[in-house]
Amino acid sequence: MMNLAADGVHGSLGSIGYGLAAIGPGIGIGIIFGNGVQAMARQPEAAGLVRQNMLLGFALAEALALIGVVMPFVYGT
Amino acid sequence: MTADVQTLASESGCHLFSGCGFPSPGLNVFEFKPIFSIGAFDFTKPMLLALISMLLVIGFFWSAFAKPKMVPRGAQNVGELGYLFVRDNISRETMGKKGDPYVPFLFSIFFFVWVMNVMAIIPFAQFPATSRIAFPASIVGVVYVTYLVLGIKNQGFVGYFKNMMFPPGLPKAIYFLLAPIELLQGLITRPFTMAVRLFANMFAGHMLIVTFSVGAWYLLGFHIGALFSATSFLVVVILTAFELMIQALQAYIITLLAASYISSSLEAEH
Amino acid sequence: MDGAAWSSVGYLLSGMLFYGGIGWLIDRWTGHSALFLPIGLVVGIALSLVLVFVRHGRSS
Repeated sequence: MMNLAADGVHGSLGSIGYGLAAIGPGIGIGIIFGNGVQAMARQPEAAGLVRQNMLLGFALAEALALIGVVMPFVYGT
Repeated sequence: MTADVQTLASESGCHLFSGCGFPSPGLNVFEFKPIFSIGAFDFTKPMLLALISMLLVIGFFWSAFAKPKMVPRGAQNVGELGYLFVRDNISRETMGKKGDPYVPFLFSIFFFVWVMNVMAIIPFAQFPATSRIAFPASIVGVVYVTYLVLGIKNQGFVGYFKNMMFPPGLPKAIYFLLAPIELLQGLITRPFTMAVRLFANMFAGHMLIVTFSVGAWYLLGFHIGALFSATSFLVVVILTAFELMIQALQAYIITLLAASYISSSLEAEH
Repeated sequence: MDGAAWSSVGYLLSGMLFYGGIGWLIDRWTGHSALFLPIGLVVGIALSLVLVFVRHGRSS
């Protein structure tokens, strides 16, 4: 808990920070799965290949969200 | 307007311009006074809801399958539809034919979790029992024990952990770095993420609905706030419809995960 | 998605947990406030990504 500049506003800055940090991965994961599904629909015979690469992209984007989770613990207090 | 929100708002009993701040709902929404207590054991609303959903699931499927007919009618029709959905779309998709012995297990998980989730939008219940972590955690505990025992039985104790910790096709030196991650994933984070996913989705969904309901109540009055109150109430209706979808989806996902973990115990991943 | 996408989150978490934990212990040992913990987290994420690639990303 820390006091913000505005009077009477209390709360955890870490949670606000994570809310902001989750925007990017959210958009990224949406784009990855959206385009992945589209690619699978257009070319069903390449579905296996598309799924593998989709998972890699998903893991990379998800890593950013998880970094966002731990940053308040690392640089908190 | 949910039941617990009504108590929350009427306790504070305040509206916009009446001189009190927004009574923002927090973790107190998820705390209930015990209905009765036996010693140190408190019987609360989530437990009651879980019991009711258990009885509902048992009662419905008992009535559906107690006297099965060749030509299904009424409840048996619906029951068979549900069973076929779990068998064809979850079990056969992940495990194939050899997963059929585990279909009853998956079937019970799916319908129990789903009914507990749907309690969130049933009037007077208005609370998803799965938004208390203990319920998802105990369901996942059962799945965890199941896939560990199955894995050790099918692949042997050494073989199971060898398959888990050493994926084939890597240089020897790197196993030294990767084996701890695999062990941690198989034994700790896999059940943990599975429980937390269900819990967090239901928690956040309930929180959203409660926040907008309290907002609609707080802004109510004969002034400009009525406009915002109506908008807030509209959002509640939309979110309720959205939650209905999320509830079914989360029940489906936890069953799918249980099926895929059981299938990874049945045979080593290529 | 046959559970692969979901389990990759588990891999990332456990990698961060293990190597971040080692980094945290080194921090406590050497008296730094936050030096080895972030390094450990990044190393853990990199190794987990390798593992996700090995498990799911390889055409078999």
